[in-house]
Amino acid sequence: MIELLLGTLYGLLVGIVPSAGATTGLVVLYSFMYIFPNEYSAIIFIMATVAASTTADTFASVLLGIPGANSAAATIQDGYPLAKRGKAELALSAAITSSTINGLIWGLIVFLALENLSFIYNYIGSIQLWFITLFAFVCVVLVLGKKWYLGVAGIILGVIFAVVGTDPITNASRLTFGWQYLESGFQLMPLIAGVFAIPQIIDGLLGWSAPVQHSQKSYKLLGIYSVWKHLGLSLRGGAIGAIIGFLPGLGGAVSDWISYGHSVNTTKKPKIPFGKGNIRGVIGPEGSNNAQKATSMITTVLFGIPGAPFAAIIMGLLMYLNIELGDPSLFYDSAIFNSMLFGFLGGTILVAIIMFVLLKPICKITKIPMKYFFPALLALLIWASVQYTGGWEDYVIFLFFSIAGYVIHVLKISKPALLLTFILFERFELLSVQLLTRYIL
Amino acid sequence: MKTHIYAIVLSCLISFWTSFAFADYKMIIPQKPGGGTSQWATIIAKYLEPHLGEKIKLVHIPGARDIPGFNKFHNELQFDEKTIMVSHGGNGVSYLTENVDYNYKDYDPIGGMNLTIIIGEKDLDNKIYFAGGSGNIPDVMGLTLYMCGNLNSFSAYEKCYKDNITFVKGMSGSERRLAFNNGELNITRENPAAYKKHAKAANLLFTHGVFDLETGKVGDDKNHPGKSFDKVFTLKWGETPKGDFYDAYLLVKNYRDMLQKALWMSKDNQNTEKVTEALISMLQDPEAVKAINKKVGEYDWFISKELLDAVNYLEERKNPKTKAYLIKWQRNVLGYNAVDK
Repeated sequence: MIELLLGTLYGLLVGIVPSAGATTGLVVLYSFMYIFPNEYSAIIFIMATVAASTTADTFASVLLGIPGANSAAATIQDGYPLAKRGKAELALSAAITSSTINGLIWGLIVFLALENLSFIYNYIGSIQLWFITLFAFVCVVLVLGKKWYLGVAGIILGVIFAVVGTDPITNASRLTFGWQYLESGFQLMPLIAGVFAIPQIIDGLLGWSAPVQHSQKSYKLLGIYSVWKHLGLSLRGGAIGAIIGFLPGLGGAVSDWISYGHSVNTTKKPKIPFGKGNIRGVIGPEGSNNAQKATSMITTVLFGIPGAPFAAIIMGLLMYLNIELGDPSLFYDSAIFNSMLFGFLGGTILVAIIMFVLLKPICKITKIPMKYFFPALLALLIWASVQYTGGWEDYVIFLFFSIAGYVIHVLKISKPALLLTFILFERFELLSVQLLTRYIL
Repeated sequence: MKTHIYAIVLSCLISFWTSFAFADYKMIIPQKPGGGTSQWATIIAKYLEPHLGEKIKLVHIPGARDIPGFNKFHNELQFDEKTIMVSHGGNGVSYLTENVDYNYKDYDPIGGMNLTIIIGEKDLDNKIYFAGGSGNIPDVMGLTLYMCGNLNSFSAYEKCYKDNITFVKGMSGSERRLAFNNGELNITRENPAAYKKHAKAANLLFTHGVFDLETGKVGDDKNHPGKSFDKVFTLKWGETPKGDFYDAYLLVKNYRDMLQKALWMSKDNQNTEKVTEALISMLQDPEAVKAINKKVGEYDWFISKELLDAVNYLEERKNPKTKAYLIKWQRNVLGYNAVDK
């Protein structure tokens, strides 16, 4: 039980740190694996961390307008405008409820029916993955807004940042200017930190941020009621997240943006436009992220094939404990699966309770001037951004994106369009190369 | 303003300190966390720590073709005497064909595993569908030889390759495994332990074989006797493999497999002896050996001078003609323009 509590608290902490997310939190655990008394304790801790961080990454998205993780960027679209209107509690309460419901449903399905799900992978190949990624790409259109040219500028910048690295066909360097560090491309965390967080900090310090309205009214129950009212949307968001999680390599950002697109397309004549604080724009994406984390574990556990980056880290961590995911003999040790189930579901429930209790005090952060908490925020952003190698190069990239991010902010270039393009382009390019070399050339 | 600047500097210092405050030794891995060599290094670090008596922090420095991590060790990190470098298979391939900074002969060898790679097939008909990246060059060359036999010119191999093999690019190892299982690919490649896990539906086509330092030849993999490449080739074509293409294949295969999981420290490092002794002691620990073998299979280690001997042996065979052949194959046939920059 103590592992569950500690894993949940750690996940909560990692989730709250802007731009960090589950993957960063798990990477840090490499240095501390020796503290666990046995493998079951470690599994409970790890799964609780994943569940808790995925729910908690909403805080930074809604309260600060900074994605708590790459998969929480879609929530900003309507969550942050709600916070600015004094309804942060409404957005967060709805997000927690939607995340928790779908986390529990898909967590139960996955860990109870795990052995019977492997047949699905006979029907998934590079063609199917290519079309799904293309579909997610189309969702960029949804974040273009009225000033479409600013959205297009975001897409172009997203592509430019994404192509930095190595050409997958020729292995030649692209836009690296001879700097080897860049040959594996820009990392997501410094980009999110620089493009989303730094402009918020600078504007906050200079007093240029749009005024945040405050309300004495409690929206906690209204948030829960909103999910009840839009339960179908939340469950469909969860189903989208679950399907994307099934497919290896696509990741949380894809599922969140497809869910967001689904929320937009299934809302006829919205009273509040999307992008301005429509609660359906929070419920849909938040329904998908915990479900995606749960189903990403299927290929990981069944075949030892990580379904997402965080799952690859889990495989490495469990290897430290002599547990090799994908090994059929694991199925003889039911305690491993019980630990996974307990950790994931327990973490999902516990973090929801903690977040509901802390909702009111945490929402007060919007009332605190940036000058009082920016050093802590900056330290956390830097910490998250330099977990890649820990070398001086990570700091340089952080600085680069901080400057570029502020310029992008001043020019009002669409940040969501940039981020979504950056995330999807690499995947889309690789899948296109696979299709070309396998079926066409 | 001054307070803000102090706060920013303090933020940087805190984040830097927390990255390295909990370890004595650093182990540099030229891969992302979760990759095969990263998992191997995780196990080694875990079991090495008690014998070393100090904590080891894993530092991942990933990058294209595993080069940036090893280059960074060569240019900066090796000067910290408590830094251990883990070399990966891709490093061997890159070392042969690209202008990298690192050079195995510049370091103190600690130890490494003498490994091989297994090639499996499923429903293999006339045409091979195989996926990989630059680290899979030896596999592609072995498959080309297997399909084409001994040919007398580069262009003959080029034509045979184009007629018989589709090399799918852009797939990660995970995707390759799924694609093999669902039939998009009909060839897979794995290290011996992963082969058992990921290629259950496969028929073992060949192993690249294991290099024997005493005889100077590639022999059978004791885990799969009679299935080494040379034997399988001879059985199929009625003659032993030979020629420039085969020499190039053998060179790149040995560089990849003999140095694909090895530990190095800076030259004349005062801690080399201590780390080597800890490694030797670790390899007497049955629990450690069991965990390592579970990950990569049951294979021998080159310890200290043996690893250096292996490097020296490879260096002697790195003649310009073979290297040029290898580069030409990668550039002209596989389309890897980055080689020999």
